[in-house]
Amino acid sequence: MSSSKTSKDKTEVAARAAEIVREYGPFAGGASVAGVTYDGQRVWAATGASLVAFDPESGETARTLACAGDAGTAFDGTHLYQIAEARIDKIDPVTGTVLASIPAPGGGSDSGLTWAEGSLWVGQYRDRKIRQIDPATGAVLRTIESNRFVTGVTWVDGELWHGTWEGDESELRRIDPANGVVLARLEMPRGAGVSGLESDGADLFYCGGGDSGKVRAVRRPRATARS
Amino acid sequence: MDSLIAASARALAAGDALGALKRVALRDDPPALALRGIAMAQLGEHPRARELLRRAARGFGAYEELARARCVVAEAEVALAMRDLGGTPRALAAAADTLEAHADHGNALQARLIAARKLLLLGRLDEAAAALALLDARGLPPSLAAVAELIAAELALRSLRTGPAQAALARAHEAAERARVPALLAEVAEARAALDRPAARRLSAGAEQTLRLDEVAALLASDALVVDACRRGVGAGDAWRPLARRPVLFALARALAEAWPGDVDRESLIAYAFNTRHPDETLRARLRVEIGRLRALVAPLAGIEATARGFVLKAQGDREVVVLAPPIDGDQASVLALLSDGAAWSTSALALALNASQRTVQRALAELEAEERVRSLGRARAQRWLAPPLTGFTTILLLPAALPIE
Repeated sequence: MSSSKTSKDKTEVAARAAEIVREYGPFAGGASVAGVTYDGQRVWAATGASLVAFDPESGETARTLACAGDAGTAFDGTHLYQIAEARIDKIDPVTGTVLASIPAPGGGSDSGLTWAEGSLWVGQYRDRKIRQIDPATGAVLRTIESNRFVTGVTWVDGELWHGTWEGDESELRRIDPANGVVLARLEMPRGAGVSGLESDGADLFYCGGGDSGKVRAVRRPRATARS
Repeated sequence: MDSLIAASARALAAGDALGALKRVALRDDPPALALRGIAMAQLGEHPRARELLRRAARGFGAYEELARARCVVAEAEVALAMRDLGGTPRALAAAADTLEAHADHGNALQARLIAARKLLLLGRLDEAAAALALLDARGLPPSLAAVAELIAAELALRSLRTGPAQAALARAHEAAERARVPALLAEVAEARAALDRPAARRLSAGAEQTLRLDEVAALLASDALVVDACRRGVGAGDAWRPLARRPVLFALARALAEAWPGDVDRESLIAYAFNTRHPDETLRARLRVEIGRLRALVAPLAGIEATARGFVLKAQGDREVVVLAPPIDGDQASVLALLSDGAAWSTSALALALNASQRTVQRALAELEAEERVRSLGRARAQRWLAPPLTGFTTILLLPAALPIE
């Protein structure tokens, strides 16, 4: 839109339109979706006052946990992690009990969250950063810089993807975890914000839709899946 | 939107302004500034709220025009709460267009309602009515529907259409109950109570009687010759002779009407109209001239005849003659009428709304303050005037509904 951004984009790869496969929600009692994750069977969405799990096939809500969730959600194979206010809660997905809490690295300016390689990866929205942290202590292990506001973060097949959302413009971006260089861009339709991001480990991304209260499934490009 | 912004917005939407503030108190990024501004506005810290919202609007980038437009609307609502009626409506109109273009219909509507309320407070009733008529009220959230009905009621009241006003207030009450905003319910209740309060006094043939608004409307619709000290003029039925810019002629008309059907002696008329107790020949001559002018002006409505000791008003046919006076007398009455909305007004805003000089308004306010019928807050430019008792918070800060500021 602005000229400064256009010139910045010249050095980046061309954007492709994101292919939205399906939309879920809005969910009962949740005005917006702040974070999403996938536990292998169900998609979890943080809707402010609660965490909602739904079946991606039927779209039906399978479980609702009364856990505060203001930003990213992650799953490590056993536990859920949820950003609430300025902390990250470790949650038992069966009972909804908060087992432990660590401070969020951005002190509340955190947005996205994912689990990979034994670490939590946290997007810091307006700081345009991704932090790799120790899930036990919250200590920052590494920082990756982006040039856009970072919302959701996810790893799939060794690829680091993050969502951006600035004004009306949202994209899913694959970046080089070593230096932050943008490798691929999927452009969402105008106004379809990305407030959370999670891969299903195969061909789909699940994207939190912010104020729309929706979760959108977006197809992961084949070309990058093979590379 | 990051996690503390989301948590803060969640607290604000639940009515917890302090909780919202606590979460973003130390942050200066634009979304945090916006939330702090809205929370401060809800806590009644209007000047601070305004400053924060302005900084937030400036801080959002060029591509974040939706968030910026929401800040502009919030700031306009705070300005309205402060009764700061200066400034151009252009920024608000532009923000409304931006919100509309981004399909944020709720906030766009909010912006247009603020513009209409501002016109109403400035007494630009035709423009306010036109602005209200343009609104697309379909699918209006109940809080905004209540505000729209309040504006409609106020417009009807100001033109003394009490029936439509009551109907609009009933709809406002119903919408406010659905919205479950206490401040809004209080404002509707206040407006309904105003309908039952004395709105004016009727002075006729030595008797005085207080009138409610519907009784005033009935009187003005009747055949009586009304010397209206509220609007400063003489009317009968549909005929109306404004005398707002002819204070001497109005004083004479009122003196004659108060004495009707009797006459008034020259000395009394001179004392009353020229404000002196010492009539001399020049004043007698001047009285004849002014009576002549008044006679010419009201000729179609009534005659003025000389008597042995002075002058008498002769109404046409069997018309009754009535003086309609404000519930209290003087410049103060119109000032009090404005202050009775319960909000804090600046002297300049009162002067603007009354189309009077600031000096006149200041004089009236000083007199009212000496009688403890108004009170002021703040000093110098920040000074604001209130009518006691302070009957609640009349501008509804609906901003939690106006969130999310992304």
